[in-house]
Amino acid sequence: MKPLTPKRLAWICGSLSVVLLIVVVISLKVGAVPISVIDLVASLGRVAIGQSDQLPSEYSLIVFDIRLPRILLGILVGAALSVAGTGFQALLRNPLADPYVLGVSSGAALGAILSLIITSRASFAMPLAAFAGALATIAGVYFLGRRGGQIDTHTLLLAGIISASFLSAVIMFLMTTLSGGELRGIAFWLMGDLTSTRTPVGMGWLFTVLLIAIGAIYSTAADLNLLLSGEQEAMHLGVDVPRVKLVVYVSASLLTGLAVSVSGAIGYVGLLVPHVMRLLFGSDHRLLIPATAIGGAIAIVVADTLARTIVSPTELPVGAMTAMAGAPVFIYLLRRRLQ
Amino acid sequence: MLTLPFRRWVRFALLAALAVPAAASGAAQAPASPPSTPSKIEVTDEVGRRISVPVPVRRIVSLAPNLTETVYALGAQDRLVGVTDFCDYPPAARQKTSVGGAVSPSIEQIVALKPDLVLAQAITMNRRETVDALEHLGIAVYSANSRSVDGILDSTRHIAELVGASEQSAVLLKTLRARLDDLKLRLAGRPLRRVLFVVWTEPLVSIGRQTFIADALRLAGAESIVETEQDWPRLSLEEVVRLQPEFLVFASSHSESVRTTVEDLSERPGWRGLDAIRQRRIAAISDAINRPAPRLVDALEDLARRLHPEAFADKQVPR
Repeated sequence: MKPLTPKRLAWICGSLSVVLLIVVVISLKVGAVPISVIDLVASLGRVAIGQSDQLPSEYSLIVFDIRLPRILLGILVGAALSVAGTGFQALLRNPLADPYVLGVSSGAALGAILSLIITSRASFAMPLAAFAGALATIAGVYFLGRRGGQIDTHTLLLAGIISASFLSAVIMFLMTTLSGGELRGIAFWLMGDLTSTRTPVGMGWLFTVLLIAIGAIYSTAADLNLLLSGEQEAMHLGVDVPRVKLVVYVSASLLTGLAVSVSGAIGYVGLLVPHVMRLLFGSDHRLLIPATAIGGAIAIVVADTLARTIVSPTELPVGAMTAMAGAPVFIYLLRRRLQ
Repeated sequence: MLTLPFRRWVRFALLAALAVPAAASGAAQAPASPPSTPSKIEVTDEVGRRISVPVPVRRIVSLAPNLTETVYALGAQDRLVGVTDFCDYPPAARQKTSVGGAVSPSIEQIVALKPDLVLAQAITMNRRETVDALEHLGIAVYSANSRSVDGILDSTRHIAELVGASEQSAVLLKTLRARLDDLKLRLAGRPLRRVLFVVWTEPLVSIGRQTFIADALRLAGAESIVETEQDWPRLSLEEVVRLQPEFLVFASSHSESVRTTVEDLSERPGWRGLDAIRQRRIAAISDAINRPAPRLVDALEDLARRLHPEAFADKQVPR
């Protein structure tokens, strides 16, 4: 593994950001309504020099009020889920850990749905309930996944998958028995949906909280590297293991809970992206965490662009796209690990 | 619409990203005051939202098949600029621009059609998220939410008022009411037929008592054997066998397919136990019964004729 220098870190993150920017511009261009590159560049230029009021209203509405908010939300959600996945993978020393596979997304979704039933869309209740659901699920899965005081890879995965299916059954029960007008659309939302009606203020909040949670996980990056060789070993090397575990579990649950509360359960991003990034750049968390954040953003923007355009003008849930790409990778990783 | 705060926020983000040194002058400019706005009317839609609709409405997008039918029935189809993939009646509606499916239409396609008014069917067809997203973009969305045949007539009248077709709606509603009155007269004193309205056979899904279909059944001289608050309950066949409906009601665009279905069901355990299947007491009616639109009255009359043929023995034309 190459040693990590600030220059290498800046280079890699810079290049990934350029890729993200290119993907965003492509995503701004394509959609149900065709918009030419020239028009797009012209309107971006006008906005940049502060003449946005001279734009043709229809283009600007579609590009800046429909596509862009959705892309920004996708970037935030992609970064959150991927970093959460990286965090879970490091703590559980298991490259197959992912918020979706572990049932954490389902726990968050159940929390969100319960808050919808009880409070009927109070704006702060839903993310909080989703966070609580995520935290409770990961705690449950963690304890179920232990064997003889140690985390066992396969027991843990089984615990996660079984929790996910149990929680989905509870969600199904609630949807069948309580299905009123309020709950319609949840089936679609559960598959992941980035249609955004959030205000800039709401997006600002989301961005801030996600940044803090990602920062908290990043602050433990060096410790996570040591944890890769085992908890005992890390402890001997001076890592405050319980503190690191607490920080990463809480932050990763917060990231998952927030992501689910704004966009439903989008699966496999937290699995796919960290894996690809590890293949490309190695497993040093000081590089891996920022790289996964940007990579996750790229992955979701690409997936959502496909979801918007494949059967246009109808839209697919973005979760269907990520599952189609992610599930085969999961099987591949699992088989390679078993051999 | 041009002055939504998002735009300014986007501008800041772009400025930061591209590091264009022109921030100070651009950001401080106050947005131009809106041009003299055309007149608008404020109404409350059927889910209780206050909406403001421009007068006159020149461009309409319908997000549900029944609303597309309603617009046609009101003669306002020339102003209908967008429909869904499911809008298949009248056949001419298929020629209109599609905005996608009812559950997840393309918001940007709707915006590109520049509608003055979007019609949505709350709860049963469209998602609240879609309505929220459009409202957020400053587009007027009228959500209809008809739970009875009277409700359908009211929705039709409200939509007519919004699109300036009150005269057409007065004529239309008068005819429909006269037909319903005639039906009531013919069916007066006759016992209600106990029916099972079959929405789907595998799994068996029927209707709850709060749906407009349950109300339509009552007007057609029938009552559903299913008594539930849920709108689209899944039933156990056991329960249906216990209740033994007098008739099974199927709604389909092809009566032939209903015959095949019934032949198929009569071979199966469980369904075989239903007297209505064994004795072929089946009423196959038009799928218009599934759509809360004026055409529902046709289906309702058709059903009444099948369930109570003796009430229509005379040659008097209902009018």
